Amino acid sequence: MFKARYKEMGGDLKVVKLNRCIRVNTKKISPDGLKARLEKRRVVLEKVPFLKNAFYIKSSKFNLVSCPEYLLGLFYIQEAATQVPAEIMSPKGLVLDACAAPGGKTTQLAEYCDVIAVDNKADRLSILENNLERLGVDNCIAYLIDFRSVQNKFNYILLDAPCSGNFMLENNWLRKNNLKRVEERSELQKELIGHAISLLNKDGVLVYSTCSLEPEEDEFVIQFALDNFDVKLEKINCIGDDGLTNIFGKNLDPSMKFCKRFWPHKTNTIGFFIARLRKC
Amino acid sequence: MLDTFVSKFTDKKIKFIKIGIRYFLDNKELEKNRLDVKEKFFGLLLGHDEEVDKFTPSFGLLDLLSKMSNEKIFVKDIGEMDFLYGKHLRVRHVLRIEGEKKIGFLKLVQNEHDENIGYGKYVGEEGKIQVLKHRMDRGIFLKRDKEKVMH
Repeated sequence: MFKARYKEMGGDLKVVKLNRCIRVNTKKISPDGLKARLEKRRVVLEKVPFLKNAFYIKSSKFNLVSCPEYLLGLFYIQEAATQVPAEIMSPKGLVLDACAAPGGKTTQLAEYCDVIAVDNKADRLSILENNLERLGVDNCIAYLIDFRSVQNKFNYILLDAPCSGNFMLENNWLRKNNLKRVEERSELQKELIGHAISLLNKDGVLVYSTCSLEPEEDEFVIQFALDNFDVKLEKINCIGDDGLTNIFGKNLDPSMKFCKRFWPHKTNTIGFFIARLRKC
Repeated sequence: MLDTFVSKFTDKKIKFIKIGIRYFLDNKELEKNRLDVKEKFFGLLLGHDEEVDKFTPSFGLLDLLSKMSNEKIFVKDIGEMDFLYGKHLRVRHVLRIEGEKKIGFLKLVQNEHDENIGYGKYVGEEGKIQVLKHRMDRGIFLKRDKEKVMH
């Protein structure tokens, strides 16, 4: 079923071997500085061409999490696609990370500005706290609350919404997932994006992302936002295919092409979707 | 209890706020961003009180102290690896020792890049193989990662 859907979207259900990727913690070290230190340990790195501060691990004789540079918080092991949302947001002031744990994007955003991180799962939030400590982040406040209970206004919000995931993330993803689950996620995502927009100041920026390739969790959620709220899509300068404007018999807003979807076999990343909205 | 720990390294005071059993660095700028609910984590974690009368510092505090204090032991690459695996420091691990060489005193352990990797108790070096008894090191992040993933 998913294979036929992906074909209709111009994609493919092709599992690719991903390069492990790390993000440099520029609060502590420069990319060149980290590269020199890891190369001294015979780790072979290659710059990720579409990211500012990331390297692919081409080879390493040991598990990177056991090396001093990891324990010192000089880098974070973070898949390449998941580094794009913070980069394309490039916030100039306080940002709300709405579904923050385990903290990859939170700690990345903290390199730009102060961050309010919220998550409603205690075990996941404790992983975030551990990452904040390891990376030496000193400008983040974390709350164990449901994002929907936040009432403050923001100029920047990142909503990396809970989603059904994609076939690159787990071996039995196809067996575990079905359209009912996708639809359930879609309803939650619409609720979350609606609340996120209500918290945005005028001209505020919302970056919405998922690691789902299902239009119900991606373009249809954005279409819901365009139909019901005073927001517009902004062009994103990054890799990936343009967002779908016509799918499963539905005509979507032409500006949907400004969104980006990452097909693993094309971007050599996990499946991913990203949109940048501005409140009018 | 944070004050007592800090006083073992420096006469300077560190301003903090306390949330539950945890201490965080006082940060007036960050405070402006607070929401109207109780936070779990606020800026730089400095440490926490244990159930018994014991304070556990964070690595943020040890980093901070390493900029305020000269009670440090600098270690070679091999010393760094061994210390991060929970081992005591021996003479062959040590590059140099700064500050007072008083037995029983706490020392910050710094790598060749002057980055803090933990701390321990100085036990002397004259004619002794052991220099510093290990108290805490950054290898704990590996253990925490494993525990949290298993849950």
